[in-house]
Amino acid sequence: MENNTISRAKAGRTIIAIAGLVVVVAIALLTWNVRKEIEELSSARSDNVQWSLSQAEVEFHEFSGRIRTGADLAAVRKRFDVFYSRIKTVSQGKVFEDLRSDPEFDGALTEVQAWLDKVVPYIDATDAELTGNIPTLSALVQELHPAVRTLANSGLIVFARNADERRADVAATLIELAVALAVLIGALGLGVLHLVRLNRQMRDQERSQRQITTRMTTVINTSLDGVIVSDDRGRIIEFSPAAEEIFGHRAADVIGKELGAVIIPDHLLAAHEAGMQRMRDKGELRVIGKGRQQLEAKRADGSIFPVELAVQSAVTEAGDIFIAFLRDITQQKADEAELVDARDKAIAGEKSRSEFLATMSHEIRTPLNGLLGNLSLLRDTTLNPKQDTYIRNMETSGRLLLNHVSDVLDIIRYDSGKVVANIEPMNVSDLLQDIIDSQSGMASKQETTLGWSWNGPAQHWITSDRDRLQHVLMNLVGNAVKFTKRGRVSVKVRWHEDEITFDIEDTGAGIPLDQQARIFDDFVTGNTAYDREVGGTGLGLSIAKRFVSVLGGEISVDSEFGKGSKFCFTVPATRAVPEAGKNRPLAAPVATKPLLVLVVEDNEINRFVVREMLQADGHDVTVAHDGQQGVDLAAEKKFDLILMDISMPVLDGRSATRRIRAGTGASAASRIIALTANALLSEREDYLADGMDDVLTKPLKKSDLRRVLGQGEQAAVVSTTALINPKHSEELFEVVGAQNYQNLLARFNAEAEKLIDWLQSDNALDLTDIANETHKLAGNSGLFGAVGFGEALTAIERAAKAGEDAKLISAVGSLPQIWHRSKKALAEIKPKE
Amino acid sequence: MLKSKRKFLAGISLVTAFAISGVSAAVAQDIILTVTHDGQSLTFDRDALEALGTETIETSTIWTEGTHSFEGVSLARLMQEVGAQEGKLIATAVNDYSVDIPLSDAVEDGPLIAMKMDGAEMSLRDKGPLWVIYPYDANSDYRSEVVYSRSIWQLDRLEIVD
Repeated sequence: MENNTISRAKAGRTIIAIAGLVVVVAIALLTWNVRKEIEELSSARSDNVQWSLSQAEVEFHEFSGRIRTGADLAAVRKRFDVFYSRIKTVSQGKVFEDLRSDPEFDGALTEVQAWLDKVVPYIDATDAELTGNIPTLSALVQELHPAVRTLANSGLIVFARNADERRADVAATLIELAVALAVLIGALGLGVLHLVRLNRQMRDQERSQRQITTRMTTVINTSLDGVIVSDDRGRIIEFSPAAEEIFGHRAADVIGKELGAVIIPDHLLAAHEAGMQRMRDKGELRVIGKGRQQLEAKRADGSIFPVELAVQSAVTEAGDIFIAFLRDITQQKADEAELVDARDKAIAGEKSRSEFLATMSHEIRTPLNGLLGNLSLLRDTTLNPKQDTYIRNMETSGRLLLNHVSDVLDIIRYDSGKVVANIEPMNVSDLLQDIIDSQSGMASKQETTLGWSWNGPAQHWITSDRDRLQHVLMNLVGNAVKFTKRGRVSVKVRWHEDEITFDIEDTGAGIPLDQQARIFDDFVTGNTAYDREVGGTGLGLSIAKRFVSVLGGEISVDSEFGKGSKFCFTVPATRAVPEAGKNRPLAAPVATKPLLVLVVEDNEINRFVVREMLQADGHDVTVAHDGQQGVDLAAEKKFDLILMDISMPVLDGRSATRRIRAGTGASAASRIIALTANALLSEREDYLADGMDDVLTKPLKKSDLRRVLGQGEQAAVVSTTALINPKHSEELFEVVGAQNYQNLLARFNAEAEKLIDWLQSDNALDLTDIANETHKLAGNSGLFGAVGFGEALTAIERAAKAGEDAKLISAVGSLPQIWHRSKKALAEIKPKE
Repeated sequence: MLKSKRKFLAGISLVTAFAISGVSAAVAQDIILTVTHDGQSLTFDRDALEALGTETIETSTIWTEGTHSFEGVSLARLMQEVGAQEGKLIATAVNDYSVDIPLSDAVEDGPLIAMKMDGAEMSLRDKGPLWVIYPYDANSDYRSEVVYSRSIWQLDRLEIVD
């Protein structure tokens, strides 16, 4: 725009100059013209023409008056000569040129001249002859009279005409001059206007330029980032106060110096020079205009420090300049490092804590399993009533201890985010009845009445996590019974609009107001003697609260000290269709046919207990002491069921399972059930991924074992529930319709298989890509309720992000198995219309 | 152009007869100029005038065609001769035409009282015998109405008045 203005101003100036020149030339010409006219007027070549002409007539009369008899001949001659000279002057003189061009005048003149020529001989003759010719001359004079008259008159007329013309010419010239002057003045006026405008524009420009400069200076001076401006040869033009602070140079010292010498560390100097050269040669920009970059820079004292910088180039009249914004990120870097360190430590601490607790619970549970198993076996032998009582007491203590350990484990699992609700259809009435039944003994001991009822219409079948619900209700009902003597404990259930509410009310000791607020906190127990008598870890309610929130609900308490308490919790629960033979494992042991069972267990006691339990039910049991032995046996013989311990010497249970599944041995397709004391849900998924069909938690209970054995063909259902949450696929089905659902599922299958192929390809894969891809598919898995597959993908994502190669390889290795089973399960799901 | 050429001719010489334009007879030395100054009259014949020294002016005039050479006595020289210093001249022609010429006009390289045109004496018919000629071509100041009116021809009398 500036260039435009400049060129326009240039053109304007040129035009003005040319116009001025034209007008000046015009005026010069006119002036010259006027001067000529004036000169003509003043130099008056004309003399007094009129006078001369009339004088000619006068001279003629003077002459003619002397032509008479007895005239003085000398006077006649003199007068003739004077007249002659007069006419000669008129016929030759320059002043009479104009007149001579007039035909009338010229005619008269010619006549007079002819007459003169005729008369001269008479005049020049002798005196005697002249005297004799006087009469002739007199006649001749009379003849000429009219011509002389005409000469004088026509001269007058012509002269008057010429004078008019001359005046008109002068007037015209003067008018032209006036016009030219007017034009000149106009042009000058326009020129002045133009100059005034230019001047104003320049002033405006100057002012805005000054404002911009001031603003820029303010911006540069107040910027927290250092601002350095250099020309295209790297010489510093500007060095802001912040830059002074950062680099320890004073602007006055470095302006005009090479950037390289001032702020570039020696080891980067060569690269800097090469970059500048590249930029000059080919206009190649690597740092400039590429956003924020982190590099190293040099302070005045030579120390090297990290900077973050952004460089931009700008084109100015003086050539390209580069503007760098720099920030000292030494502190930021240190903070980052500290943060990373702290995070690593925290993660390590958290990891070691949960590992410690998991190990501890394992170490506690394994011997406890032995105790309880043997007690269970002992009860099947012939005992006297006293022994029976002892065994029951031992079992009670053992189970209590086991519960405590389980409580701690639950807390760990919840806090590490590993607790996921396992929502499925369940019969809530059956559950409540079981709980009331199990607590009725205790209640009768306390002389307390215990019962439950529907508050509102009954809704037996709902979808919820039966185990969690059972845990919470057991805890609340158990507490109520524990703290109520000679009173009443009642449970009221109300189902309303996809929510179920349980009110557990007692007429017991109640809770002091100051404790109600923190009753759900960890390790809170009543501190009265009575409370101690009842006992407890103080974890029960906090676990209940955690489970309620896992189920998406809320729990609250309302209590009056000394009068009783009312616990109330509400969780989401949709209506479910009744399913036969479900959720009643305690009540309905499944009849089983004798099976060929392989027990792979390193712990001798456990091995013994399991074998005893199985053999008691009539099964044929083979035992193996470690994973390798198990693999070998499974290869030789076709077992109906393999119970596989996880932690074993030589070859652990997971590896053994994978080998059995991968091999072509006799039992490659047999059902494999994991036996573990570690029951973290994520591990359960890992086991399933390894090819196991189900997981049993130690200590092994006969009922559990029987359930697993009896399910046989139903085992797929169990694992399906673990792998798939059908509710999600139902939702999707409802939203998109049957046709779309099939299409989507097909696409999902294709995507999953593509991803697995990609993950297993031999190409070197980028960890970020792996994390991104698995994350994407994990989201889709959730849509179809493929919970297990989704979790496996998430595990891969996490490992990829953390850069844990070993974990990643193992997770990727188990993915195809999980997928294979998930795909089958998804295909079997027939969502309801 | 003005060419100065002074001739000092001693005394009155006899000039041969003239055969110009019908001047009848050349009787020895007619008076051609009378100068009146302080009540005295001085008369000059052709030789007397030439004796004062002549100068030549080459110039055109508005009354003639082309450039001509005029030879005569400069007015300044004549005024010096008669001792006139200030005032004016009343110049009168044969036909009694009369005009005033200020003495200030009598300067060096100024007007001549021309006696010859193109080397020939001038007859009455050729505006002779004497013609006051200014160097019109040499000086634009002389190309004015006033100067033209002072360029009297057929001059025969000069009167000097204060």
